[in-house]
Amino acid sequence: MLMIHPLVLAKLEVGEHLYWQVGGLKLHGQVFLTSWLVIGALLLVSFLATRNIQRVPSGLQNFMEYALEFIRDIAKNQIGEKEYRPWVPFVGTLFLFIFVSNWSGALIPWKLIHLPSGELAAPTNDINTTVALALLTSLAYFYAGFSKRGLGYFAKYIEPTPILLPINILEDFTKPLSLSFRLFGNILADELVVAVLVLLVPLFVPLPVMVLGLFTSAIQALIFATLAAAYIGEAIEGHGGEEHG
Amino acid sequence: MDPIVAAASVIAAALAVGLASIGPGIGQGNAAGQAVEGIARQPEAEGKIRGTLLLSLAFMEALTIYGLVVSLVLLFANPFA
Amino acid sequence: MTNFVWLLAVEAADAVEEGGGLFDFDATLPLMAVQFVLLAVALNALFYKPLGKVLDERDGYISSNRVDAAERLAKAEKIAKQYQQELAETRRQAQTVIAEAQEEAQKIAAQTVAAAQQEAQTQREQVQRELDEQKNQAMVTLEQQVDGLSQQILDKLLGALAV
Repeated sequence: MLMIHPLVLAKLEVGEHLYWQVGGLKLHGQVFLTSWLVIGALLLVSFLATRNIQRVPSGLQNFMEYALEFIRDIAKNQIGEKEYRPWVPFVGTLFLFIFVSNWSGALIPWKLIHLPSGELAAPTNDINTTVALALLTSLAYFYAGFSKRGLGYFAKYIEPTPILLPINILEDFTKPLSLSFRLFGNILADELVVAVLVLLVPLFVPLPVMVLGLFTSAIQALIFATLAAAYIGEAIEGHGGEEHG
Repeated sequence: MDPIVAAASVIAAALAVGLASIGPGIGQGNAAGQAVEGIARQPEAEGKIRGTLLLSLAFMEALTIYGLVVSLVLLFANPFA
Repeated sequence: MTNFVWLLAVEAADAVEEGGGLFDFDATLPLMAVQFVLLAVALNALFYKPLGKVLDERDGYISSNRVDAAERLAKAEKIAKQYQQELAETRRQAQTVIAEAQEEAQKIAAQTVAAAQQEAQTQREQVQRELDEQKNQAMVTLEQQVDGLSQQILDKLLGALAV
């Protein structure tokens, strides 16, 4: 737009979107574009890794097996040895999707591609994505609780005493809220900090912050997956689960 | 945008981030110190301690991020503009 | 720096004008959720199931192999123990045989030595006897000759006197 400037890379845009109209619906095009790339990359890598499965793994298969064991460990630690298996795909996809999204935002120079409006960035940079993931997590733990304990699931709302009923109900709202805002805020903050630094000093200085951003992104993906698994585990086991802000 | 609202928003944004970083800063310092102590006492548990520390640091970090989100709202999506 | 601040202000204003903004919820949210669920289903079929199966199979393979190896090790140890027992037994037998043989050999040697000594003794005695006999004979003949000679000497002495 107005920055016809040597520092086109450093343009700072917040809250602008590339709008698509599908039917009567408004969509954020840039989020879908990058998320398709992320999804495509994930599917491609899994396809390549499982194309020729060997008993003694090597190369890509080895790497993806490592990833799978990592995910299984997350699920196993939070949900428990007995119940974790059906939840591995959900927790694992959360982790992989968020991780690859965050890193794609940090590693791929999206800003080189110009859009009519808005700019390409990590899909998790958009509040819609993170809220969608958080709401899915809420649905998942409700489903887990109901399928495991039936209507007895509601008993957890009046435990340990019925006085805590409002707080327990409130918790169901704060959980997705904190999940989505944590991820959204971290990723957006990371990209903003890098953008501001690039705006001030375009070369080399932002590099350490970018590396820190990579680290934070990975940790945020891990946290989202871990918390989702912890909520599911709590719903399955009943009370006594860990509580996190 | 009304200049008074703009000025107030910018000050509020700065305060939001600044104040939100105090508590987590203290908390992270505490956690890191305790972790170092734990490692010094039991060096063989370093891996576990480090993993837990990173996870809890990220949780504390999230509190600052909430403040940051508020300030971002004030700056970029100000509801009073 | 002024440029930067101005830029921020402009962007924010733009965002508000377009009705967008930081917290702009719209149909992106449900579509993203659907997309995510589809991704989970696809990855489940493409990634978690096959690789999980491989992991489990490998775990089974390794544990069964380990059990197998442990069994074989136990068997091998048993056989080795048995061999050692047999070896010890054989060694003991060999030792008794050797001891017997040595004893026998000693007995034979002693017998032989005794027989040889006895024979040597008898031979010596015989030689001694023969020697004694010859000595006696020699003495007898010597006495006869002494007798004869002394007679002659006597005759000669007496003859000379007689003459």
